[in-house]
Amino acid sequence: MKIRAIVLLGTVAAVCLMLLTLQMRGSIAGASDVLAVVTTPIQSVLARVNRATVGVWSTYREWKNVRAENRRLREEAQRLRVEALRVTETVEENQRLRRLLALKEAMPLTTLSGEVIAREWGGWVRSLTVNRGRADHVSRLTAVIGPDGLIGRVVDVRPGASIVQVLTDPASTVGAVVVRTRTQGIVEGEPRGTLRFKYMAREGSSIQVGDLVVTSGAGGLFPRGIPVGRVRAIDDRGSALFHYAQLTPAVEFARIDEVLLVVGEGSHDVAALFPGATPGASD
Amino acid sequence: MRTFVAVAIFGGGIAHATLGPALRIADVAPDIPLIMVVLLALRRGPEFGCGAGFVAGLLQDAASGGLIGVQALTKALIGFAIGALGGRLRVSQPLVQVPGLVLLTIAEGLSRFALLKLFRFPAPFGELMTYVVLPQALYNGFLGAALVLALAWAESTRPRTRTS
Repeated sequence: MKIRAIVLLGTVAAVCLMLLTLQMRGSIAGASDVLAVVTTPIQSVLARVNRATVGVWSTYREWKNVRAENRRLREEAQRLRVEALRVTETVEENQRLRRLLALKEAMPLTTLSGEVIAREWGGWVRSLTVNRGRADHVSRLTAVIGPDGLIGRVVDVRPGASIVQVLTDPASTVGAVVVRTRTQGIVEGEPRGTLRFKYMAREGSSIQVGDLVVTSGAGGLFPRGIPVGRVRAIDDRGSALFHYAQLTPAVEFARIDEVLLVVGEGSHDVAALFPGATPGASD
Repeated sequence: MRTFVAVAIFGGGIAHATLGPALRIADVAPDIPLIMVVLLALRRGPEFGCGAGFVAGLLQDAASGGLIGVQALTKALIGFAIGALGGRLRVSQPLVQVPGLVLLTIAEGLSRFALLKLFRFPAPFGELMTYVVLPQALYNGFLGAALVLALAWAESTRPRTRTS
């Protein structure tokens, strides 16, 4: 052991003991003040650095927590959205089927329920494919209806399916009558997917926007009183023999999923089954 | 290296009071300056250990608001002792480092208690050892070993300088 080291230790010990003794006697109160001149600014800087570091760390941790929570909530929201959609879809389907069932039960005709399995929605042809065909004894020109009104007629029957010509098909024509005025006419489909009611001018002078048009039952193809649409606009062609009225279809064709095929006798009046389809009913 | 030593001694002593609480686990904070002094004394010998302990302890005393000179003396003694004995100990093993630092912390605590007792320090020995010195000794042991490993790893990754 070097003498120098021992001397150093002795000196350090002596200095420390002296400092302690003097402090206890209160003689060198300024010693800590002198050291504080060095330590305080460094401590301030370190405290600031410490606070900043802790702050950054806390922010990072919060950010991480928030991110994890965000991810979890997103997943939960996604799951709930899917679940809500499923529930909504089920509820809607349930309502549709209930309405269809109610109509089927109330209908004084033999009907067959069918499900839409395909749609043709181009301007040339507007049709639905229903999963009922020859095997179900469906015949051509069978009337197809829904809870809101007339959909169309079967134009082609296949072994397991039928093609339904929708009212808005350009080739579709249906004998109809305005409920309020009893004006007879023909409902025709238009290439742009709308309906028009063609009637003799001298009979239809009192037709108004909002009037309900139902099937007339003429020809025995469709039961009487099935809603076809409501008058949206009247096209007054002056002295022409026929006038036209634009109709808003009673059925939203794009959203049909289930239908009823009227497979029995079709000459009954079923207006009572549709709200507002009877003469004198308030719309 | 000199910068590191200066920062370790001066910074460690002052930083302890400011940054030490951040490392607290269950109300036990490590004595970082003591670990620094031990590590430096092992590398540089008793004189350096003594000086480093004195400066670090003095600054620690000043920073913590206690009696100036207590930790300066105890850490100088620890620095001197470990510097003198270091050559005979196989301190590169964690199995030596952890208990070594635990024992050194206890020794420092005992010497500090003895010194303060001379100046009428009122705290009871048993409680002080149970709740302060021993937990801190354990913490120092593990933290010191981790620090040694970290330093060894840092040195091993440092590019070697060639001498012609």
